Amino acid sequence: MVKKEEVMKKSVFVVLFLLSSSFAFAEGQFDFSGYLKNEIGIRLQDFNGDLQKFKNIAEVAGEYTVKEDVVLFAKVKYWYDLMYDFRSQYDKGQDAMGHIQRTDWLRDCYLDYTNGAWFLRLGKQQVAWGQADGITVLDRVNPVDLSEYWLQDFVDMRIPLWMANVNYAPKLNSNLQILIIPDFEQSTSAPIGSPFTTYAYTRYDNWKESMKRIGGSVDENIYFPAKKFENSTFGLQWSDRIGDLAYTLNFLDGYYYSARNTTIGLGGVRFKVDRAFKRWQMYGSSFNKTFTNPGFMQGITLRGDLALYKHEPTYIGDPVTASAKEIKRWDNVFWLIGADRYVATNWLLSFQFAQYILDEAKAKDNTRPVQQQYPLNPFTYGPADQVENIFSLKVSTDFMNERLKPEVLWSFTDDNQGRISPKVTYEVKDNLWLTCGIHYFYGDLLDSNGQYREQGQFYTQLKYTF
Amino acid sequence: MKKLCLAVLGIVLLTGHAMASNLEYFKVYTPKQGMSADEIMNIEYFVKYTKFAHDASFYGKAYFIDKSGSVRERETTRLRITLGRKSDDIAYKDLVMFTAPAQVKGLATLTWTYMNPKKEQDTWLWVPSLKKIRKISAANADDSFMGSDFTNEDILTRRFEDEAYTLLREENFKGYHCDFTKKTYYQDAPCFVIEAKPKRSPWYYSKRILWVDKATGAGIYEEMYDPNGKLFKIIFKKFQVYNVNGKEYPAQELLEGKDLRTGHRTVITNEDIRFDIGIPEDQLTEQKLMQSRW
Repeated sequence: MVKKEEVMKKSVFVVLFLLSSSFAFAEGQFDFSGYLKNEIGIRLQDFNGDLQKFKNIAEVAGEYTVKEDVVLFAKVKYWYDLMYDFRSQYDKGQDAMGHIQRTDWLRDCYLDYTNGAWFLRLGKQQVAWGQADGITVLDRVNPVDLSEYWLQDFVDMRIPLWMANVNYAPKLNSNLQILIIPDFEQSTSAPIGSPFTTYAYTRYDNWKESMKRIGGSVDENIYFPAKKFENSTFGLQWSDRIGDLAYTLNFLDGYYYSARNTTIGLGGVRFKVDRAFKRWQMYGSSFNKTFTNPGFMQGITLRGDLALYKHEPTYIGDPVTASAKEIKRWDNVFWLIGADRYVATNWLLSFQFAQYILDEAKAKDNTRPVQQQYPLNPFTYGPADQVENIFSLKVSTDFMNERLKPEVLWSFTDDNQGRISPKVTYEVKDNLWLTCGIHYFYGDLLDSNGQYREQGQFYTQLKYTF
Repeated sequence: MKKLCLAVLGIVLLTGHAMASNLEYFKVYTPKQGMSADEIMNIEYFVKYTKFAHDASFYGKAYFIDKSGSVRERETTRLRITLGRKSDDIAYKDLVMFTAPAQVKGLATLTWTYMNPKKEQDTWLWVPSLKKIRKISAANADDSFMGSDFTNEDILTRRFEDEAYTLLREENFKGYHCDFTKKTYYQDAPCFVIEAKPKRSPWYYSKRILWVDKATGAGIYEEMYDPNGKLFKIIFKKFQVYNVNGKEYPAQELLEGKDLRTGHRTVITNEDIRFDIGIPEDQLTEQKLMQSRW
């Protein structure tokens, strides 16, 4: 079934591509561009040359204007991470990375149709909601590829889905967006043995291996939502302005993109792990406003997101032993406020504060021992605060007529864990850009960033565009 | 008495500005002999921001040329609609979309400029690497415009009310030889020579000397002086008059800016300029920007 679907998707793309190619010489109707990119990551700790990635990427995008109101757009991408060939320690992850490489190739493939107040985008695509930068509060329409944690650009991190994206603008500056998404992909995480494998996954794999060693078994089953229309994800966004305040109201109803594990003992050292996707809903809102009138706020942009995650699957267990025991369907809240301002001519300061608020500090109706009733961090199975305070500060500027662009991002929480990521981008030529940077992680091993405290990275990116 | 004098002076100045700013949108104005510096500059701004046209589209190229002669290039498509609308105070809306090189292809900024001179612009940025729109703070007026030798103020935000003007003289322009096109422009063109001093102090320049073409009201050449009175930048603009439905619209076809301190220069060419083509306002909204493909 999956193969049949894959063949169908590929066929659609090939037809679109051939269609586009056949019109390639129609003046002004066909447009394309792309890039070749090399990314090298070297482990920072001890700086002994441990390679974390050696990724080569090729991407091509093409647009064909059938007529003024009908446009076809497609983007394909292929990448291969040679690191998995170079270093035997990553052998275990090679299959998983190979899978990501095979399934990740079609990034966009859609048709745009405009008719007056109506705008339709039909096909494989990404939809980004919200105003947050680097944090997904409302940006939950597409699943994400976390094989490099949250370090990739969001356009590469989001996993595109086949959907109908219908828009109607009843008046100027307003829009009603309806999303019908019959497609489903799960969010992917870094495979075992790779630099950014989550601590929870590593521990789980270790446990599985230890069971095998003592003659036990772990039977894993993953249950995807059945391919029925009622299992589609549905989304709704209303956007409008009140004076110079722009706002959106958002709603999403679908399957949570990360499967949650339930472990069942079958007697002795035999276990069954069921991985299932749970349905959840998101109610939310976002706003942005720039203070344009004279006054002490002039020049400041405020933006924010607010989301209620209804029935969000939340792990409960023992944070001390990092052991998940149960899944609760809690109503959690995530909100964020950001402020941006230019200072001293061209230094942009961008600050964000966010709170992720869990429904409960401790499961109430749990029959398990007290130490197993606490909410867990899904990345590490370590402790999750009921109220997690998250901060981020980005400073960027430019030199040499924007040829040299330095930027520093510092994101952290009130648990003294975080990430500092300075980088510099240099435009060697119009079509050749070089980026160098560092990701430095700190914090406790059971914190989201702290789990990678030994995986700090020095990286380079060389990008040739055409 | 002193306060009264100041108040009267204030009223006179305000009235003067109100009169000076009272040009009607969608009309064509040219400077006349005997006009004051304020009246001439008011027309110059009117021409600069194409307030005579309901809308305009431009396809442009920008060349950034450093001291060694190395050239970087950008291509843009720009849409502008002029509104002059009192209900929401919007003067005009601009959409600039980068079309090349591929690294910046898709990057787009939408700007709304207000009639109230004290009100800053609203700016949205479509960021292809996020596939997301970001409301951004207006960049500071003295920051470089797109990495060029022009400041944001030079291109976008400087307004009539930001400076005080003195008519220095009338003369025939000596001509400008453009290194990029290897051509000489406006030789012996009759001009008003105006001194413009910024009201903001301290500021990155102490004065501009402008040559305003008598035929079109366009500012064709200017010299900028730093706070120490030293010439540090020159800007040249070449205008072409377009006949649109019987009206004569002067449009900027070529801009050259030279930073004399760094030896860096920027050339912007506008090609395929079209006026009054009926660009609908809903093409310049945040919602439309979100539908970008690149």
